[in-house]
Amino acid sequence: MKTSKSKELSKKAKEKQKNVLEMLKSHGAKIYDDLDNGRFPKFSIPSRSVSNIVYDKKLRQYILGNNSALRSAKNSAQLRSFTQLMWLAFFANRLTQEKKSSTLRDVYYSSQAFAVEFEDQSESDNIIVDLEAISSKPREDFHIFPEERSSIFGDLNIEYTIPGYEGKTMNLSNHPDGYAIGPSLTTAELVDTSAEIVIAVEKGGLFTRFVEEQIDKKFKSIIINTGGQAPRSTRTLLKRLHDELGLPVIILTDGDVYGEHIAMVIKSGSANAAHLRELTVPDAKWVGVWATDIEKYKLPTIPMTESDIKRCHDLLKDPRYEGGIWKKELDVFLRIKRKAELEAFSKYGLTNITDKYLPQKIELAKSL
Amino acid sequence: MSSIKEKFNQISPSEFFYSNRDLAGFSNPTRSLYTAVRELVENALDACDQKGILPDVRLIIKAVDPEKPDPKPYILTVKDNGPGIDSKYVPLAFGTILYGSKFGLKQARGMFGLGATMAILYGQITTNKPVIVKSSTDGKIQDEFEILLDIQKNKPIIVKHKTKEISKQGLSVSICLEGDYSKAGTKIRDYVYETSLITPYATITFDDPKGEKFHHPRFVKDIPPPPTIIRPHPHGIDVERIRRMIVESLFEIPNIDDAMIEKVRKDLGLSKKNLSFTGIMEKARKKWKTLPRQVRVVISLMSFLKMDFEKLNKIRIEDIDVPHKKLFYWDFGDSQSKSVDMDPESLYYNQLTHTVQGEPLTTFLTKRFQRVGPTTAIKFAEFAKFKPEKRVGTMTNQELVHLSNSLQKFEDFMAPDSSCLAPLGAEPLEKGIKKFFNPDFTAVVQRPASAYSGFPFIIEMGIAYGGEIKSGGPHVYRFANRIPLLYDEGSDVVLKVVNDADWGRYKVKGEPPFVIVSHICSTRIPYKTAGKENVADRPEIERELRLALQLLSRKLAAYMSKRGQAEMAKKRSNLYAKYIPMIAEFCTELAGKKKEPNYKKILEEVNPIESKKTVEEEKPIENK
Repeated sequence: MKTSKSKELSKKAKEKQKNVLEMLKSHGAKIYDDLDNGRFPKFSIPSRSVSNIVYDKKLRQYILGNNSALRSAKNSAQLRSFTQLMWLAFFANRLTQEKKSSTLRDVYYSSQAFAVEFEDQSESDNIIVDLEAISSKPREDFHIFPEERSSIFGDLNIEYTIPGYEGKTMNLSNHPDGYAIGPSLTTAELVDTSAEIVIAVEKGGLFTRFVEEQIDKKFKSIIINTGGQAPRSTRTLLKRLHDELGLPVIILTDGDVYGEHIAMVIKSGSANAAHLRELTVPDAKWVGVWATDIEKYKLPTIPMTESDIKRCHDLLKDPRYEGGIWKKELDVFLRIKRKAELEAFSKYGLTNITDKYLPQKIELAKSL
Repeated sequence: MSSIKEKFNQISPSEFFYSNRDLAGFSNPTRSLYTAVRELVENALDACDQKGILPDVRLIIKAVDPEKPDPKPYILTVKDNGPGIDSKYVPLAFGTILYGSKFGLKQARGMFGLGATMAILYGQITTNKPVIVKSSTDGKIQDEFEILLDIQKNKPIIVKHKTKEISKQGLSVSICLEGDYSKAGTKIRDYVYETSLITPYATITFDDPKGEKFHHPRFVKDIPPPPTIIRPHPHGIDVERIRRMIVESLFEIPNIDDAMIEKVRKDLGLSKKNLSFTGIMEKARKKWKTLPRQVRVVISLMSFLKMDFEKLNKIRIEDIDVPHKKLFYWDFGDSQSKSVDMDPESLYYNQLTHTVQGEPLTTFLTKRFQRVGPTTAIKFAEFAKFKPEKRVGTMTNQELVHLSNSLQKFEDFMAPDSSCLAPLGAEPLEKGIKKFFNPDFTAVVQRPASAYSGFPFIIEMGIAYGGEIKSGGPHVYRFANRIPLLYDEGSDVVLKVVNDADWGRYKVKGEPPFVIVSHICSTRIPYKTAGKENVADRPEIERELRLALQLLSRKLAAYMSKRGQAEMAKKRSNLYAKYIPMIAEFCTELAGKKKEPNYKKILEEVNPIESKKTVEEEKPIENK
């Protein structure tokens, strides 16, 4: 049973790799033909300008509209970025074929070996987003990963697919500090778990407390530290835990407007990644800390800054915040003009949050 | 008082220059060597110019003892193929200060031929060697002189004189002088180089003391038209000059010698006959209209003296005292001075007073100045509140000052005649600039003649950009009357004008490869110092320089924007040449192919016409 599943899984990974390679090859072949026939190669990139980012209610996330920009090698102003993009496709092709991973920074430096100039890393990062937009695939599919800062802990068996570790398995509750969510983990097969829920928390401190208090066992959960705004690899993993293992996802953040938005991004993506799908967990639930909790639990608070308030007003214009708990909590924040951190529960004792608050919220989540 | 005056008078011009030699550019061995070179080369070029000979000038500097450290004695020789100097005049020309042939009012490099003698004087002071002058005016016989200067007496001492047969006309001057070539070398080489730029019709060769040869062959075969000598312009003179002109204009009382008496007899038709006094007067009255002025004056004198030819032979006229109406003469027979009264009613009286009092003002103006006609002269007299028939010889000092001031102020005189100027011409100047700097762009302008203080001048200017010109410009080459100006550029009017220009406006940025050649031609260049190295900022000259520079700058700006476009096109083409092969390389691997696509077609399509070509196509327009 286990072997057959693992075989099936590795087949799936191979399939994905094949897709990526074929996509890259077809783009390359088109440009090759153009050049060979004396035509200036060109292709269109979905426009990522603000005006072309629209909210798709069905998908429950931001997506790019129909506008696209033509990038042509004939336009001398675009020649450089055209070449950069070609190089990136070429580089991604090698990475994917050789199953090597690299970071955004790696990409920036690797370019220099091919005499492709990037002014700075932000320029190369931008070209990476271009490639994502054209291919509608996240950079992780091309083996390009950001720096890691999020981690995971809980009873989950995985099987690596990266070169050198293929077939090797690991249980993610073996190490109390948790496991960094990096390329090997994101690409690993999720074999099985005893957990019944995924709890994503915003902060490392709380993650450690949850492990200490054995939340994984007490609530049969997998604990994930998003390290602030969840990186794409973490969001990919969350989606897979939800989709592949059928686990519900709840999110616990600071009681402020940024915390609320961290939850929203996990649920429905960010405008920055509007060109990508498969990064959202639409069923994920934000369980706290809500603005109403601040009053309800009489939490110590900090006054909201001007930028907090401005952020509130901005989000109120976002269609995703049009109704329900999302709008209600924003309104309360604006009313009380105060915010509270997760650590605020320590006022009632260090384990208050795990003993009292969390169980209530897990129970509540079922009804959300 | 009188003894001091006497002492002062005893200083000869030679002595004066000896004690003030730094005025003329002989302040130290470095500067002196350079100035000596300049003076001799310029004399040679001037001599050829005057006779319309294409100059071949050879400059040789040799160390007397090459082993000695600088400063040390050098032998400086300048040879030309000019007209030479008549052997009679050689000692005077090279052995006295203030002797020269260049006193007329026209453009020449040097004014009075003074510099060469100064160089000789300086050489003699520092090395005690004579100047060696070899001259041939006919290309057959050459006179060779060795001359020393007697500084106190301002007189030449001929040490040696010999003649020999040769086959070339021309002049060679050789002086031995203390100099410092290690320091002056750069300037001298620059001088020769720049002289050949502004004298494109001359071949100039320079053999330097280190054994290097600099040969600048002529690249223009025509000498620019020579200047003519002209009268002064009323705006260009002062009281002293007027005084001297009046003295020149006064009719001299003829010296009544045998020759003069013979002439009077002949003109009266009395060569053979001896008539009495009354007979002579009778004859003269009949023939009066046909008699020349000198004869009339003699007759008039005789009328008062009441003498026949025989008596006239025995006296000498001393003075004509117009205010007292007396005529003074010396009687050889009695050996004493005598006088007779003159009758103011007599017609002969008028004849004499006119002679003594000079021309009427209007005649003086029309005859002695340029661009003044009778109408203007009368208008001027009105303006200055002089009677038009006012005799210039009768003017008091005060009146002379008033006359001089009025001449300066009167605005209806026509602009000075510029026929006395010899600009190089736009075409030779452009040729020179192209040859010397090999630029991408050249523009040249010759401004119409203008004048400052009555001295006509013409500005010629050229501008060159790119090509082989070094960056760090504008590099300014200053010339005045075909002389390169190398020292003291900081205070020069040309530099002032160039520095005032806002080059950014003309699309010239950073440290451009950029040359400006400026040539001021005038009968008198307003040098700031006697060293003749920097031109003073006269408003009229400054204005003309500005106009010339603006015109050229606009042409340069037009060129620069075209060049900018061409450079953009080239840059673009370079972009394609750089990036398309890279795209080809990457897509080849992406597409899984082995051979790179044939992208040459694309590159050919985007490769624009070479930028150099575009520029050359534009050139004829720019230089109109």
